[in-house]
Amino acid sequence: MPWDRVWEHFTLVMTALGFIIVIGVVLGVVSYLYPKLSKPILTIVDVMQTIPSLATLGIIMVFMGGNRRTVIIGIILYSLLPIVRNTNSGLNGVSPAVKEAARGMGMTRLYQLFHVDLPLAFPLIFTGIRIAAVTSISVAVFGTFVGGGGLGTVIYQGIRVSSMRQILFGTAALMAMALLIDGIMGLIEKRLYRRIGLQMPQE
Amino acid sequence: MIEYRDVVKSYGGKPVVKGINLTIQEGEFVILIGPSGCGKTTTLKMLNRLIPMDSGDILINGKSIKEQEPELLRRNIGYVIQQIGLFPNMTVEQNITVVPRMLKWDKERRRERAKELLALVDMDYDTYAHKYPNELSGGQQQRIGVLRALAAEPPIVLMDEPFGALDPITRDSLQDEIKDLQKRLNKTVIFVTHDMNEAIKLADRIVFMCDGKILQAASPEEMLRSPADDIIREFMGKHVQRVHMEDELTCSDIMRHRVATISPQRRTLECVELMSQREVNSLIVVDDDRTYLGIVAIEDIKDRGVAGETICPLIRTDVPCVETGQHAKEAFRLLMDMKADYVVVVTPDKKLAGIVTKSSMSKAMASALWGEG
Ligand SMILES: Nc1ncnc2c1ncn2[C@@H]1O[C@H](COP(=O)(O)OP(=O)(O)O)[C@@H](O)[C@H]1O
Ligand SMILES: [Mg+2]
Repeated sequence: MPWDRVWEHFTLVMTALGFIIVIGVVLGVVSYLYPKLSKPILTIVDVMQTIPSLATLGIIMVFMGGNRRTVIIGIILYSLLPIVRNTNSGLNGVSPAVKEAARGMGMTRLYQLFHVDLPLAFPLIFTGIRIAAVTSISVAVFGTFVGGGGLGTVIYQGIRVSSMRQILFGTAALMAMALLIDGIMGLIEKRLYRRIGLQMPQE
Repeated sequence: MIEYRDVVKSYGGKPVVKGINLTIQEGEFVILIGPSGCGKTTTLKMLNRLIPMDSGDILINGKSIKEQEPELLRRNIGYVIQQIGLFPNMTVEQNITVVPRMLKWDKERRRERAKELLALVDMDYDTYAHKYPNELSGGQQQRIGVLRALAAEPPIVLMDEPFGALDPITRDSLQDEIKDLQKRLNKTVIFVTHDMNEAIKLADRIVFMCDGKILQAASPEEMLRSPADDIIREFMGKHVQRVHMEDELTCSDIMRHRVATISPQRRTLECVELMSQREVNSLIVVDDDRTYLGIVAIEDIKDRGVAGETICPLIRTDVPCVETGQHAKEAFRLLMDMKADYVVVVTPDKKLAGIVTKSSMSKAMASALWGEG
């Protein structure tokens, strides 16, 4: 039973992450291509993260009812920021000399985006994804309050029946999942930076 | 052929290029030079439409650049910048063939081209093709930058201070390579620099810009000989003096005035005596009004001299001799070619003026180069 919850939690996070990556990168790219939109987009995404995640979930539940979908949307809204921000700053951070060369060679805007800007911004975007993944794991814990299941349910039930075993199991599973995902993605990230000869940004 | 016609560009109401007119022939190596901020880069980048012009026009082979899509135009014009700007996410081969790839050359042809280009700069394909830019030295990176610009065989190549950030030795060899490539491939090159050495070394024609205008466009020799403006003269600094030295220094400027002479009536023993006093192996023979007659050498006295006789029969006239007004270059040439110890300098009416020796020549050159000293 609790192992099912681990899997449930994991798929919840992964599904949300899939959406976050697509939406986050698209918003990041749009904010790069149209600098005028960059401020509003970043501000909105930023504000969304400052709303307590439980409140976000509550508000969504009012409209969508309590289910798995509500949790996924909640996670998306809450974890978008690091990817949007990193995509934006990764693209803007590509060296001006490289961009000038790209233009000088006759690349169109989109050709440059896909062949130069995005490949060079990718390590930073990946960092954003890693942060979003770890955030999502903890946000998903609140999913239990809106009927989304996951490890939050295990811990919450443990509290209700005063089962230390259950509480510890849930917590340990959460921590293990976060550490594992963070660790694996961290390794990939290092290789990405090394490949294009960049320094890892200081965290 | 490239024609700039009344090209004007302002930034925020401040004109930075003030009506440039310039015609560049096919295969010409043109250098844009001038003080920083005078509009060289702007002039260059208006040609491939990286900077839009305000008014005027630029024609390439009679066709306005405004009639072409900027991207398509740029694929036909090579572009090299000081900061190099290789794509860090691409290998050397991918960097070189980036334009051919956009032009949809097939893979085989691109590979062939990469090999061909790397061979041009003596870089081994197997060693370098699959390296990333950050694995190369600065000089190698800029070689790749140049190859990238040449890859799709554009007839025109623009270079904006391409070697400015390299160390002097690397810069020197890249200059040789680019000049060689330009001649061999018959490219039209427009090259921005603020280094007069570089300009003189590379240019068919130097275009001197100042404050958004062309002050003078001329061959290096002509610009050095007759700079059109004090700013140009100042910019060229010591180069101007060097040309003065070659063109305007005469034999009398580089000769030594104090010379050991002897009259033809003197006898051999006196002559030997004089030579040992002056510590020389030969004396210049002049008559009483200093008319030059020849020289007398110690070997000849030893071999053929008769004690008590005059030196008259021993006088040699086969020594190199120049007139005072002749180019210093001529004395230099004689000194070097004839392996003579000195060259005799005479006035137009054949009077002895002095002699040019290697040491008198180097003294004169040093003072022309570094001022009186
Ligand atoms: N984007 C820009 N905005 C405003 N001023 C500029 C811009 N680019 C260049 N300038 C100004 O135009 C002048 C000419 O610049 P540039 O062509 O780069 O000179 P150079 O290459 O000869 O050093 C300079 O005074 C510079 O400050
Ligand atoms: Mg410049």
